[in-house]
Amino acid sequence: MKVAVSSTGVGRFGKRKEGLVELLCEAGREALDGLGRKPVDLLVVGHMAGGPLAHVENTVAKVADRLGLDAGAGFRIEAASASGAAAFHAAVGMVRSGRYDRALVVAGEKMTDLPNAEVTKVLAGSLAPTEEAHGATMPALAALVAGRYLDRYRADASALDQVTTQARAAAARNPNAQFRTPVTVEEVRSSRAIALPLRLLHCSAISDGAAAVVVEGTTGAAGVLGLGQATDHVELVERPELTSFRATRVASQRAFEEARKTIQEVDFAELHDAFAPFALIDLEDVGAVGAGEGAAAFRNGSTSPDGPFPVNPSGGILGRGHPVGASGLVQIAEVARQLRGEAGPMALPKPPRRGLAQSIGGLGSHNFVTILGNSGAARP
Amino acid sequence: MTDPENLAIARCEHCHGRFLPHPGPCPRCGSTDLVPGVIPPTAVVLAATELLAPAAGWATPHRLTIAEGAESVRILAIGRTSGLAPGQVVVVRTENGLYYADAAAPPSAPGPPKLASPSRRH
Repeated sequence: MKVAVSSTGVGRFGKRKEGLVELLCEAGREALDGLGRKPVDLLVVGHMAGGPLAHVENTVAKVADRLGLDAGAGFRIEAASASGAAAFHAAVGMVRSGRYDRALVVAGEKMTDLPNAEVTKVLAGSLAPTEEAHGATMPALAALVAGRYLDRYRADASALDQVTTQARAAAARNPNAQFRTPVTVEEVRSSRAIALPLRLLHCSAISDGAAAVVVEGTTGAAGVLGLGQATDHVELVERPELTSFRATRVASQRAFEEARKTIQEVDFAELHDAFAPFALIDLEDVGAVGAGEGAAAFRNGSTSPDGPFPVNPSGGILGRGHPVGASGLVQIAEVARQLRGEAGPMALPKPPRRGLAQSIGGLGSHNFVTILGNSGAARP
Repeated sequence: MTDPENLAIARCEHCHGRFLPHPGPCPRCGSTDLVPGVIPPTAVVLAATELLAPAAGWATPHRLTIAEGAESVRILAIGRTSGLAPGQVVVVRTENGLYYADAAAPPSAPGPPKLASPSRRH
C-alpha cells in the first residue's frame, strides 16, 4: 500500500513554558487542522525521556485525551534522539499493514525544566555504562569522533565552523527555529570550548519543542518511498569505524532498496547535525559524497540551498534546537513541506522531487533514514 | 594470573574478535566461546579530547582518549597527561575498574660521549 504524508505541524523550538503534553498537542492540532479534521484511528507518540526530563508518563493517553482521540489506538516509541523518526517508521508500518487508516504521529521533548547538568546526565543514559563510568558525555564522544575524522582525513577544523554558519543562516529563515540570527566563523571559533575541538556553537542546544505529521494510505508529493533503520554497538570502541556511522550506512542501503532509487535521485536532505562533525559524516554515510569528502562539500558550497545537494534548509539541529525526541520527526515534516510546496521562506530555489531525512539515536547506535517523494499524484 | 603490567582482554574463539573484558557474550558475534588473554599496556592514541564541561563529579578539564593497543583492541581511557595527540604512544593502566592513559616516556636520549680518560685541568 502506498502511504504519504498528508499534513504536518511544527511548533516553535526553544525555551517554552508549556509542558511536554501541551507541546505535543500544539503540533498535533496543527497537523489535524491541515487535514480538515478527518478522523484519525492511530496515534503514535515519540519522546526520549518524558519521565526523567519532564515528569510525564502515559503520554499516548494524555495526548489522545487532549486532542479528542480517546477512541483510537496508540503507541509510544523510543529510540533515544531518533525517537521522532522511529515513531514515524512505526506508524507507516502500521498503516501499510492495513490495520489502521490514518495515523497522527507526534514527537517532542521538554528539556528546559531541569538544570543543564541534570539533562546531560539523563542524555548520557543512552551511552554504554563503561563510557559513562569514565566520565564520557555525548559531547565528549562527539569530540573524539571529530578528532579522529579530522586527523584521519587531514581535514581542516574550519569545516566544522562552516557546518554551523550554514545551519544558522538557514535557521534565520525558519520561523520555528530556536536560533534566528546567523553567526560568523569568528563567532563560532570564539564560542566557549566544550570538548575540544568542539566549541559551544558546534553543539546543538537543549530545547523544548514538538512536531507532528499525518500519514495515510494515499499518494502524493510526500509519498513514503523508502524506510531503513539499523543499530550498531553502543560502545564506541567496539565499532570498527570511528569516522562513519555504520547504522546510517545500513539504514540508507535499506531505504534506497525499498525506494528503488539511488542517492543521485534525491534532491536534498535533512541530516542529523546534533554536533557539527556529524553533518560531515552523515553526508558521507548516506552516499552523497565519498569517505572523507564531507568537509570539502561543506566548504565549497555543495550543501548550500542553491548547491547541487542542499543540506538542512530548515536550519538543521544546530539551528533549530534539539528537543531530542522531536528532531527525527521535524526533519521528516520539513522534507514533506519542501516537497508539498509548503516550506515558505525555507523553500529551496529549485523545487525538489525527492528528499531524505536521516536521524541518529544515541551516538550513532540506532539510526533511521526516510526517503519521501512523489508517489504518483500531482503536486498540490 | 595476569601480569599487572599487561592489560586483560577477551578473545572470541568463534569470530576471533578481541576486546576488553565485559559481561556477556562476544559483542561482535554473540558467541560465549571466550578465552581470557593479555596485551601489552602500550597503545597509540587515535583521538583525544579535553572536556571543559564535564559530567557532575569530574574535575575540569576531564581528559579522555581512545587508544588502540595490540591486536587492534581499542580502549577508552581517562588521560592523565595533558595534550595527548593522535599517533602518540601511551601506557594504559587499570585502577578500580577504570582505564587511565599516561604519555609513554620518550626513549632515553643518548648521553654525552664518554671520555677516553678522565679530563685534566689545565
